[in-house]
Amino acid sequence: MRTALALTIFGGGLLQASLVPALRIADVAPDIPLIVVVLLALRRGPEFGCVSGFAAGVLQDMATGGLLGVQALTKALVGFIIGAAGGRLRGTQPLVQVLGLVLLTFVEGLGRFTLMKLFRYPAPFGEVMTYAVLPQALYNGFVAAALVFAMVWTESFRNHAS
Amino acid sequence: MKIRGLALLGCVVLVCLVLLTLQARGHSSQATDALAKVTTPIQSVLAKVNRGAFGVWATYLDWKNVRAENKRLREDNRRLRVEALQVGETADENRRLRRLLALREQLPIATVPGEVIAREWGGWVRSLTVNRGRDDSIVRLTAVLSPDGLIGRVVEVRPGASIVQVLTDPASTVGAHVVRTRTPGIVEGEARGTIRFKFMARDGAGIQVGDLVVSSGQGGMFPRGVPIGRVRVIEDHGSALFHYAVLSPSVDFARIDEVLLLTGDTAHDVAAHFPTDG
Repeated sequence: MRTALALTIFGGGLLQASLVPALRIADVAPDIPLIVVVLLALRRGPEFGCVSGFAAGVLQDMATGGLLGVQALTKALVGFIIGAAGGRLRGTQPLVQVLGLVLLTFVEGLGRFTLMKLFRYPAPFGEVMTYAVLPQALYNGFVAAALVFAMVWTESFRNHAS
Repeated sequence: MKIRGLALLGCVVLVCLVLLTLQARGHSSQATDALAKVTTPIQSVLAKVNRGAFGVWATYLDWKNVRAENKRLREDNRRLRVEALQVGETADENRRLRRLLALREQLPIATVPGEVIAREWGGWVRSLTVNRGRDDSIVRLTAVLSPDGLIGRVVEVRPGASIVQVLTDPASTVGAHVVRTRTPGIVEGEARGTIRFKFMARDGAGIQVGDLVVSSGQGGMFPRGVPIGRVRVIEDHGSALFHYAVLSPSVDFARIDEVLLLTGDTAHDVAAHFPTDG
């Protein structure tokens, strides 16, 4: 649990810091900590998803210099919900994971926007959705597909080896 | 488990809401500072790891680039060396041909330039094959020389080629004299590849190491005054009739590539057209 948590937080943060600048396309970048939180919460459950989402969100809030607690809250909620619903949603299915991640990114963006609006965030809803949330959701889905494929391959390799 | 999870979620939400509330009420710095104490070290570690990984990657890329560049530079170096050698060779050949042409124009004797196409360099025979033969009016015993001095004589003429017996051939003899003392003698080739000046003891008392020996022109085969070599060692045979002086040849027979074959009348003194200062 602790190892996986540390891996999620550090690995996600590390990937976000190192890979995202290289992966940026037309000013849209994937939210790698969110992807990692979702994919691991599906396997580890709601508690793991909640704590890892909170930690990853706090780090992102601190890194971006925005409102502290916004991403921590949205990611913790997303992690918890997906962790709790994972069993019912056949969360181990790659297609569910990828499509679910697209949807969750959208939901997380929506939640983040709502929270920030409470603090007089100036940008209009349509613009944020069109230029930030939706492209990132699609990008996350694409990255998630690659990660899911890598995880499936790793697990099958491990099973074959054992 | 479910209660525990919900409690955890409640705590997390509460913490986030407290943080947000604090920031909304203008206490953002305290909240940020408190969290920064926890997150900054983590971010520092992440940044260090990230920088380290990228450093390793950058080093690898640099190494790869340097390796590729090194390979390319080696190729360039090899090509340039070959080109430099070719240029050097061409320049050297150009210089030799200019000297040969200058000599040819200055000599009062008709000449045919030739190129050495083969060498016979054993102890028995020392000869050069020149790409001038019967078709070029070359006859047997034609004198052959270079801008540095005498090379030898043609001993065999073929269509398109001639065999030149060089001075170091054991069968070669040339009438010669020492320029400074006018001491007459004969230059003979030796099986070991050297030449010696054979002179009568009574005539050669004044010969010194370094004296220049030139062809005497006697016999009409070679023109007078063509450098043959310089005295390197004098072999005093006591009361014997003949003494010998070992000569350093004026011409480097092993390296000569272009020659002049004298096809005209050789009864001239050509000493003025050759270097005599060593």
